[in-house]
Amino acid sequence: MTTTAASTLLGVDALLDPLQRALKGAGAEGAELWVHRRRASVVRYSHSSIHQSAASDELDVHARVAVDGAVGTAEGGSLAPDALRDLISRAAALAKLQPANPTWPGFADPAPYRAPHAFDAATADLDPAGQARAIAAICASLASGQRAAGTHSVDVTEDAIANTHGVAAYAPATVAYLRALVQGEHGGAGYADDLSRDHRGLDPAGIARRAREKCELDHDRARLAPGDYEAVFEEDAVAEILRFVSLTGCGGQAVREGRSFMAGRIGEAVTGARFTLHDDALDPRQLAIPFDVEGTPKERVTLVENGVVRGPVHDRTGAKLMGTRSTGHAADPDRYARGGHAGNLVMAGGSATREQLIGAVTRGILITRFHYTNTPDPKRATMTGTTRDGTFLIEDGRIVGALANVRYTMSALELFSGIDLLGPQRLVRDWWSTNGMGSIVCLAPAMKVSRATITGSSPA
Amino acid sequence: MLDGLLPAIVDAAIARGASYCDVRDVERESELVDLQDGEIESIERKGDRGIGLRVLRDGSWGFAASARVADEAGLRALLDQAARLADAARTVQRRAARLVPQAPQRGEYRTPLEQDPFAVPIPRRVELLRAADDAMRGPRVTTRRGSIAAYRTRKRLVTSEGTDVRQEIVESAAGLNIVAVKGGVPPAIRGDMRSARQAGWEFVEELDLVSLGARYRDDAEATLDAPAAAAKPTTLILDQSFLALMVHESCGHPTESDRVLEHEVAFAGTSFMWPKDRGTLRYGSTHVSITADARVPGGMGTFGWDDDGVPATRTPLIERGIFTGYLTSRETAAALGLVASGGSSRAEGWQHSPLVRMVNVSLEPGDRSYADLVGEVDDGLLLESPASYSLDDKRENFHFSAQVARVIRHGEVGGYVRGVGFQSLTKDWWGSCDGVAADDWELHGFLTCAKGEPLQSMRVGHGAAHARFRDRPIEVRA
Repeated sequence: MTTTAASTLLGVDALLDPLQRALKGAGAEGAELWVHRRRASVVRYSHSSIHQSAASDELDVHARVAVDGAVGTAEGGSLAPDALRDLISRAAALAKLQPANPTWPGFADPAPYRAPHAFDAATADLDPAGQARAIAAICASLASGQRAAGTHSVDVTEDAIANTHGVAAYAPATVAYLRALVQGEHGGAGYADDLSRDHRGLDPAGIARRAREKCELDHDRARLAPGDYEAVFEEDAVAEILRFVSLTGCGGQAVREGRSFMAGRIGEAVTGARFTLHDDALDPRQLAIPFDVEGTPKERVTLVENGVVRGPVHDRTGAKLMGTRSTGHAADPDRYARGGHAGNLVMAGGSATREQLIGAVTRGILITRFHYTNTPDPKRATMTGTTRDGTFLIEDGRIVGALANVRYTMSALELFSGIDLLGPQRLVRDWWSTNGMGSIVCLAPAMKVSRATITGSSPA
Repeated sequence: MLDGLLPAIVDAAIARGASYCDVRDVERESELVDLQDGEIESIERKGDRGIGLRVLRDGSWGFAASARVADEAGLRALLDQAARLADAARTVQRRAARLVPQAPQRGEYRTPLEQDPFAVPIPRRVELLRAADDAMRGPRVTTRRGSIAAYRTRKRLVTSEGTDVRQEIVESAAGLNIVAVKGGVPPAIRGDMRSARQAGWEFVEELDLVSLGARYRDDAEATLDAPAAAAKPTTLILDQSFLALMVHESCGHPTESDRVLEHEVAFAGTSFMWPKDRGTLRYGSTHVSITADARVPGGMGTFGWDDDGVPATRTPLIERGIFTGYLTSRETAAALGLVASGGSSRAEGWQHSPLVRMVNVSLEPGDRSYADLVGEVDDGLLLESPASYSLDDKRENFHFSAQVARVIRHGEVGGYVRGVGFQSLTKDWWGSCDGVAADDWELHGFLTCAKGEPLQSMRVGHGAAHARFRDRPIEVRA
C-alpha cells in the first residue's frame, strides 16, 4: 500500500468522525452508520476514438437502528450533522413500526482488523489525461484496418463504519482497469484486459498485443457442432464460472435454503481434487478492504478444498440462523444477497504456461471470455453463456482456426471435476463484474479441462 | 439555492467554448419493505440528490457529477471538471460527436396517479405482504419473500439551447418469490423481478398479491411433483411476462443505436440489425410488430422528455416482421444520418451521463384470441415467466428457461412438466411466431435494465400478449 494521502481522498477524519459524533446522540438501543464514498472516472472508446469521459463522486450513508429488537434502515447522501441525525431518526422511526425480529443478531462488537492494503495514491490521483494516454497507446499500436474499443476506469472508494458498540473502521481502496477489444476489417475480434489497484499495473502495450494477436487469428470462422470437447479456459472465462459458484452456492443463506451445491454435502467431494477455492479478502493481491459492511473483520474462508466442500461464508444474521459466527462477509444489501457474499475468490492455480495448456489438447476449444451468462440450474452451479472475442479450435496441441461464438452449458462442479492442468493465477473479473454488476474479484488461473459441453453456435 | 443558477452555468459553458451543455438536478427517494418467511427483513428509506453536468467541446463529451455541489462555486468547479474531461477525450478523437437539432422545450411532466404510494402507511404495506406471505405457505415451500417499493424522482433539465423542463416521476412496485424443495429434484423457484409501473398505490392493489402468492405456491408445489418434459420439438405459447423479457433482450437491446455504433462493443455488445438492413431485414414473421413508445400510460419507460430534452415519442422498430427503426439519442441519430432523435437518451440518476436506453418497447397485439391460440395446439407447452436467460453479444443467439411449464394437449392447458429451456437464433425464433393474441395484452415494467460503464440500472416498460411459436426445439434439465 502506498501511504501518501491522495488529494482525492476525503480521509478517515472526514468520514469516521461525523459518524461517531452522530452516534453519541443516537439514543436508541443501538445504531450503526456505514458510509461508502465512490469516485469513479470512466473513459470509454470505440473506433479508436474516446466517446465517453465521465467522472462522478457519490457518497452513500447507511443507517441501521435497533429498537426493541427490531431494525430500521435509512440511507442518505450527506455527512452533515443534521443530515446524520435525521437519518438515525428516520431509521429509528421505521424500527418502531416493527415487532422484534427474532433473527436479529445485534450489532458487531469491535475487533481488530488488518491494515488496508488495496489503496494506491498515485492511482487515486490519476487525471483523465493520463487515462486518455493509456488508450492512445493502445490505438497507436494497431495494424492498418484494425480498430479498438474498451474502457479505462479508476475507482477510488472509501468505507467507514461505526456503531454504538464501539466499532470504528475506515479503509480506502483503488481499482484501475483497462480493456481493449481489437476488431479487424473483416469481423475478427480479440480481447484482453488488466486489473490492478495500481494504474501502473495496467499494461497498454501488453493488452494491445494480446488483443491484436487474437484478432489476427480470428478469421474464416467455422461453426462447432454441439458436443463435449476438451477445452482451455483463459482466466476471464474461469472467473465467469466462479461467479456462479459464488452466487448460487457460497453464501450461507443459499445453503440454509437448500439452493446451494453445498447444501447437505459439507465434507463431501463435489469436484475433482485439483479444485480448491477460498474467499480471501486478506490476500495482498486481492482488491478488497479488511472489514465488511457490518464492521466485522473479514476472514479467509475455505469454500472447497481439493474437491471437498468445506462451507459457506456468513454475515451476522446468516451466522445466527446457522448457529455459527460471521466470517465478515456482509455485503451491501442493495446489491448482494443477504446471508454472506463471497466476493474475493482465490482459486488454486498451477504452473502450466499458456502453450502447455493448449499443447495438452488433442481436439478442443480455447475460450477467451463469455458474454451475458446465467444459470438455468442454480443447485448444480450450472452456467450457460456464449463465448466472445477469441474462440478457437485446437487440434493436436495448437490453434488451427477460429470458431464462431459457441454456447456453453455445464455444471461448474462437472467442469472442475475435469481439470487436467492449471496455469498461474491472475487478477480478473467476470463479464458482469467488470461494470459493477454484483462485483466479484477473482485470483483465477487459466485451466485445461477434459470436458466442456457446447450446446450451440452463433452464425459464423 | 442551485435552482436559479442552472441557466447561468450552461451559458458559462458556451462562453468557455462548448458547443453544447446541459445540467440535470435530480432528487430521488424510495421506500422499500421486505418480508422473508413472514418476518420483516428490512424497511428502508433512501434518498439522494445531485447535479450532473455535460459539455460537448470540439466534438468530445465531458461529464461530471457530484452530490456535494452547494453553490455557484461548486457548479463552476463541476463545469471545470467536465471541460477537463472533454479536453482529455479530445486527444483521442477520430469521430466527433454532433447532435441533431432539437427545438427548445419548456414545461412539466408528472406521473398521473390516484394514490401517492409514499402516503400509504408502512403498517398497511406490511399487512398486505403478510397476507401474501400466508398465501405462499405450502408443505414444501422453504423460503418466502415479498417486497413493496415506492420510488419518486424529481428532475430538472436545463440545456444551453433553451430547454428547461421539470419532471416528477412516481413508480410503484411489488414482488413475491418462493423456493420449494423436494428431495431428488431441483428446487422449484417461482416469482418475479418485482412488477413495476409508473403509477401510485393503486397498482400494488391491482396486482392482488394474495392471489398471486397462492398461484406461485401452487405452481411451485406442482412443479416439484411434475414429470420432466419430453425433449422434442414442439409448439410453445409464452405468457406476457415471459415475452416482455424476450422482447427486451432480443429486440430492445439490438435496436439500441449506440450498440450499432459500437459504443458498447467491448462490454454490452453490438447488434445483428445494421443500418443497411433497415426496411429489408426479416426479423420475424408477419405477426411480429414491435414498437418503442415513451407515451404509454403507466409505462416504466414513460416520460415527458428524455435526458436530451427530446419530447416523448413513438418509433416502430419491427413492422410486420421487418426491421425498420432504432432507439436513438440526438448524438446517435446524427451519427446514423437521421433527421431527428427518437427520444431514447436516458440516465439513471444525477451521477450518470445519458445513454441510449429502451423506453416502453412492446410486442403489438395480434389478431387472434388467446383461446384460439391454445385451442389450435394439438401437442405443445405453455411457458410462464422466465427463470434463466442468457444472450450473445449481438443478441443473435439466446437461451431462456421457464419457471412454469404446462402441457397443452388437444387444445387445452393441462398438467405441469419441469425443466424446460430453449435456445435459438433470434430471427429463427421470431420467424416461427404464428400468432399473437389480441385480447390479453399486458404492460410489464422492469426496474433494472443494466447497461453502461459505470453501470446504470434503468427502468423500462414492455407490453405483450400471449404469442405462439411453432416447431421449437426444447431442452430439459430435470
